[in-house]
Formats: sequence, C-alpha cells, structure tokens
Amino acid sequence: MNIKQAREIVISAINNALEDKAEITEDMQLIGGESLLDSMKLVEVCLALEDLADEHGFEFDWTSETAMSKSRGMFRSVAALAEEFATQSEV
Amino acid sequence: MIIVTGASRGLGQAITERLIERGEEVTGLARNTSGLKINAIECDVSDYASVKNASKEVKRMKQPVKAFINAAGVASMNMAVTTDESTVQKLIQTNLVGTIYCCQLFAPIMLRQKQGSFINFSTIAVALALKGESVYAASKAGVESFSRTFAREMADFNVKVNCIAPGPIRTDLLRGITDAQIEKITSQQVIQKQFQKSDVCDLVELLLDEKASSLSGQVLNVGGV
Repeated sequence: MNIKQAREIVISAINNALEDKAEITEDMQLIGGESLLDSMKLVEVCLALEDLADEHGFEFDWTSETAMSKSRGMFRSVAALAEEFATQSEV
Repeated sequence: MIIVTGASRGLGQAITERLIERGEEVTGLARNTSGLKINAIECDVSDYASVKNASKEVKRMKQPVKAFINAAGVASMNMAVTTDESTVQKLIQTNLVGTIYCCQLFAPIMLRQKQGSFINFSTIAVALALKGESVYAASKAGVESFSRTFAREMADFNVKVNCIAPGPIRTDLLRGITDAQIEKITSQQVIQKQFQKSDVCDLVELLLDEKASSLSGQVLNVGGV
C-alpha cells in the first residue's frame, strides 16, 4: 500500500469517528490537548483501521511501543498514522 | 471463550477446572503448557513479547472473549530487608507488570466487542498490611490500583474490571507457611477461617454472572477486612 492510499484510509476512518463534523488535516494531532478525538474515538479509529488492514491482507498493530509515545508515536499526527499504516502493510 | 493465565497450577488451574465444569470454553495461558488438557497457549506474562504473541493468537481465533482472568502470580514471604533484588524484580514483573501487559494487550479484543470482564488477583495482605509480605503486597497493591483506574478507562466500552484478593489459600504459593502463621492471618479477617480454592472459584463465577454486571473497579477481599 502506498502512502497516498494509507492517508485516504486513515482520514476516512477519522472522518467516520468524528461523523464528518471536522476538517481533517495531515498535521492534526490524534492525542493530547489539541486532538479532536477523545480516547473513545481514538480507539474507534484504531479498531476501524484493524478491520481495514484485514481487508487489505495485513495486521495493523496499534498497541506497539511507539504507538503511545506523543513525541515519536504514530498518533502524533494524521500523517504519522498514515505512514505507520502504510509501513505495516508492507511487513 | 474465557482466558485464564497461570492455568497450569494453583488458583489458575482450579479456576480453569471450575469453568470447564460449568461448560465454558477456556483457553489457558501458561509458561509450560505440556500436560494441559485444554486449549492452551504458551505465555510468560512477565514478557511483553510473549503476551503480545498470545494476544495475536487469540485475535486470530476470531471468537468472542467473555472474560480474561489474570491468575498467574508468584509469592515470596519475607521482610523487605531480607528480600534479594532478583526476588523484588520477579514479584513486581510477574504480579504487577504481567497483569498490566495482559490487560493492555487483551483489552482491544473486548473494546471491539463492547463487552467483557477482567478479573485480576490481589491479596488480602494489601488491606491487612501483613508483616513479612511487604514486597509481595506492594506488587498486588499495584494490581489493585491499576485495576480501579483501568476499570474507569474500560467502563465506556462496557468492559468490567475487578479484583479478587484471597487470604492464605492452600496452593504452591504457601509452601513453607505453617498452620500457626495461617491462623495469625485469618484471625485478622472478618470471617476468621481459612478459605479454599473452591471459595475463590465461587467468587470468579459470581463476577462472571450477569447479575454482577453493576460491579466494576472493586476489590473483593476473601473473608473480609
């Protein structure tokens, strides 16, 4: 999966969680004070990405050590999550 | 399916047998699964990678997980000043960190289902501040604290988290403890008698019952404190 496809999938999952009520940008934070997602919504996004990964024939692991770190983790921005999603699709 | 850690011995084994008796499908997690006559996955709860592999294996089964019972544990009855470093590490790593690893790595399965129950194990030594069990009790106090907060984190997803805190139950963990020592402990309980593995199994059944669906974030001290 290329990064463009991954970005579309991630943005669509976030849009669904937010019920299309916000404009999603690539630099939008997914955790922390400025995030539009509360913890429940973030879990919903992760579970949706697990399902979408399954459809694309790979396992998406959102419980990895790097996932929860605010500075380096995949939840630091939409772009970072898309990058991680694309990376895991290649494993 | 119900998952039980430490299923090969002690309380974990007794709970596994009880659940099978009542017709539940049980998957046991144990460091050594040879000889286990149930569906079992090799897993060392103190090792993150091992717990992660076990959780992946369970996910691939694509079966609903009704409950996860964290019964694996180690004990050491010693004054803090006579407890060596490796024992301190082992107690904390297995009892506390192991419980945290299992909860965090198996929780996504229950979050997806929007239902489930975690039953963690503490000890009455926490509430009674039993002399000679400082490090063991500290590891279990951590389990209680973790469970109470984790219960709040899981509540929005209809996942319950509770702790059972047994007193001195006759298992391998009590090797070397005399009857007099046991009586000294049980005399501090509200109900001053030594309870059995079957009593703990009864509490597990109680927590799994639909009628206990209002209980979460609780610590059930066996015998009372």
